[in-house]
Order: sequence, then structure tokens, then C-alpha cells
Amino acid sequence: MTTSAPGQTSVLAGLSRDLAATAEAVGRSVVAIHARRRIPSSGVVWRSGIVVTASHTLNRDEDISVTLASGRSTTASLAGRDPSTDLAVLRLEDAAVPPVERAEETDLQVGRLVLALGRPGPNLTASLGIVSAVGGEWRTWQGGKVDRFVRLDLSIYDGFSGGPSVEASGRVLGINTSGLARAMALSLPAATVDRVTDQLLSSGRVSRGYLGLAAQPLELPDALRERLGLPGRVGLVIVNLEPAGPAEQGGLLLGDIIVALDGREVGDYSDLLAALGGDRVGKSAVVQVVRAGEQRSVNVVIGERPAKRGR
Amino acid sequence: MAAHRLAALAAGPLGAELSGLADSLRRITVHVHTGRWGHGSGVIWWGDGLIVTNAHVAPGAGAQVRLADGRMLDARLVAREPDRDLAALRVITTGLPAAVPGEFDGLRPGELVAALGHPYGVPEALSIGVIHELTRDHGTPAWIRADIRLAPGNSGGPLADVYGRVLGLNTLVAGGLGFAIPAPVVAGFLRRAGLVPPGERAA
Repeated sequence: MTTSAPGQTSVLAGLSRDLAATAEAVGRSVVAIHARRRIPSSGVVWRSGIVVTASHTLNRDEDISVTLASGRSTTASLAGRDPSTDLAVLRLEDAAVPPVERAEETDLQVGRLVLALGRPGPNLTASLGIVSAVGGEWRTWQGGKVDRFVRLDLSIYDGFSGGPSVEASGRVLGINTSGLARAMALSLPAATVDRVTDQLLSSGRVSRGYLGLAAQPLELPDALRERLGLPGRVGLVIVNLEPAGPAEQGGLLLGDIIVALDGREVGDYSDLLAALGGDRVGKSAVVQVVRAGEQRSVNVVIGERPAKRGR
Repeated sequence: MAAHRLAALAAGPLGAELSGLADSLRRITVHVHTGRWGHGSGVIWWGDGLIVTNAHVAPGAGAQVRLADGRMLDARLVAREPDRDLAALRVITTGLPAAVPGEFDGLRPGELVAALGHPYGVPEALSIGVIHELTRDHGTPAWIRADIRLAPGNSGGPLADVYGRVLGLNTLVAGGLGFAIPAPVVAGFLRRAGLVPPGERAA
């Protein structure tokens, strides 16, 4: 007992066929990456011979192999990884796999149908959902810059991270990860993937500015704010300084309250991270602090964040 | 404008097709009752009263099944393969609307699928999703894994394509995915049990 013959026109059947055709076409550029113990993780052929995946799914940096959609296996070398955006880039020995077609930024719209593809083994996997929320630029908890906030409304299964989020027409909106926000399906937009891929391919790492301090937000007393003419309600009190780190060498002290960096107000930790892009390394910054009830300016030469191995 | 067109689509053809799909699945799906709390589903495989379900839905020698038309019938167990979690039941009646089994080989991840069953005892509930993965064991169909919301009570019920063809029997939920036994595996089980479709019986 069927509703209609397979030949008949039907909205539902058309949608089903289109979704499967999209999954099949883009699936040719989705690979399985063998770099962890339990099951392989998913990756996307982003450019010719270049595979992008989620950094947290790679448990090792060497001895990585990749299974292509055709079932063939090839070796891959890690070009670099950026845990702060949860992206990693591999160079494939076999460049014969077609790269995916990227969506435009204007395609990032709430409500768009999205297929999340994966290959956590020999088979292609698909799940269906929608773009749930789109926001502006944001910082991950590790300080990585992501150009747009893209939340997906779909179920997260094995192989989700590192696979592509694909618009129904077959263009790739971004790389999926569940590793940046707990149990939330996020897509790292194509612009971010491109930027990080460029950096990882050219230098093997994403360089980030570094001050060598730990700080906590602190509400500023009204009297102090009024006396010093401080615009913000919150500053960051320095609670730890790395010995001989950039902040200590510049003369910052434990207990200093950071209120601005290069004239820009600092109200929470992400403001500080935002001011520490890779382009700032080696340059001098003016850190405005409150020390012993008085305002001071301290010049600090921004260092480079030490490379941390790991996920 | 676009929103109006989409709403018209959802309220018109798309909605109508989904309810048509639900109707056609409802007619071939039975509610299997075993004991006081046992709830499961089954699929009318042949119109002569042969119903297939999961072995874990029909653990005993018989069960009661409720048809879509409301009739409650006694069913007798005629075959069972616990290893493959399949069972066949027979009710004494004829002329039932029977499932049209789907193929396995042409299926692709991303295809829309629908399930009808009795999750947590809720009668005749429809769920929709997509095929997540098609797995084989030594080359023969093993599972259709679906990105679809299923629950206990869906067991033994149909996983169908958009045309209402039964692709498999919903059997378990693991890691959030629905696992269905592909229709060709069900057909193989019936053959091994010596059960023959009504048209193929010797006079």
C-alpha cells in the first residue's frame, strides 16, 4: 500500500531525492580520518589535496591515514592544528578527490535546511536539520576567532565533528564541531576555515598574541570610577603573572586592575583575547591599569602564545 | 512573498502528502499487545494475515494485535529468529492491506524516511527523518540507520520511504539513531521459515 507511484511528481519525493543527491555529491569529498582509537573521524576535502577536520577528533599528529569515498586509503600528514578554533588541516598524498563547493556568507540564514555529513568509517552518514541561529563574530573559550556564530538544530552522532554542514543545494556552509560548546552543534563558517587553513598551511600554526597573565573580572567601586573618570563598571584584576612573561617584563604587577588596552575598554576576558590577534605579536601595547587607587599606563610588548600540543 | 509560498506548500501539497503517507502506513501497521505492559508494532506483510514484527515484541506463542480498523485479533507465532530479532505472526483473516516492501540497494543517506508505530503506547504516531547510514555485513544488507526520533513501541513497525514502501522494521535505538532491519532481510527470514506468499502457493 503506497501513497503514489514512484514516477509521479510529489513535493516530498522531490525533496527526498534532492537531499539524497546532495549527500551523494558532497559525500565524495567527505573522508574518514584514522587518528584516534575507537572510530575514525570525518574530514572534508576543502581544497585540492587539503583536508580540513575538527582538531579535537585527532588524537595523534603522526601516522594518520585517510579513507576516501571510493574506499581507497591514502596517507596524510598534519599541516597543523588550531585548538582555539578546533580546526586541523591535513595534506593528502592523493589529490584526485574533488574539493567541496563553498556557500556564500549570505547563505547563512536561520531556517535553511542543512545536511550534516560524516564518514566515521567506510560509509557516508547524513543527518538533517536546520540553521538554528546565526550571530556575529565570537571568541571560543580558548580565544579563537570565529567569523560568524552558526548553531545548527540537528542531532549529533558519531562522525559529526569534522564533517561538512551542507546547504540543500550542495554548497558547504562550514565544518561541524561539537567540541567548542558543550553538546551544541556548531558550524565553523567557510570564512574561518579558509583563514585558519591559510595560516596552518603557511606556518603550521595559528599565531596568537600573549601577555602571560591570568586575570579575573572585578566590579569597580563607584567612588573609584568617579574619581578616575573610568567609563566601564568592570576591570580585570591580575591574579597571576608568568615569570619573565611579556606582562611581567613590561612592569605589570599582581593586583593591577586592567581597565583598557590601547585605549579600548576591557570589561571581560574576551575583550583581552580580542586584542591579542596574531598580527599583534612583537608590537607594543599600552595597558591602562588602576594601581593603588591611581591610573597608570604600562607599555607591554605582546609576546607569542607558546604552542601547546594537544587537542 | 517567499514565506507565503512556503506556507502554502506546507499547508498544501507537502502537508497533504505527509498525511497521505501516514494514512497508508497506518493501514499496514498493527499494534501488538503482549501481556499487560507489552507494546510493540508489526507490519502486515501479506494480505492473508501474515504479520512480521521483532522477536522481542512477540516473546511468547501468541499475541493480540489491533488493526487500523479497530479489530482486535488473536495472533499465533509461526516463526521466530531471536538472533535477528524477527518474528512472524498469523491472524485468521484475509484481504488485509499489505506492505509493499522496498529495495535496499538503491537507498542513499539523506533520503527522507517515515516511521509509524506506538511509541510508549501512543497509538499510530508518525515520525519523519532521513537515512543516516546503510550498513552491510559481508556484502549483505545489515541495518538501515535513520536520523529519526523513535521510542520503545516503535519496535516492529515500518520504516518507509516517501512513497510508503516499507524499507525495514524499526528494531532498536542506539546512540539516538533508529536501527531498522532491511526488508530483504525480512524476506529472507520468511523464506528460511518456509513461509510462502499467498500468490506463490501450490493449489
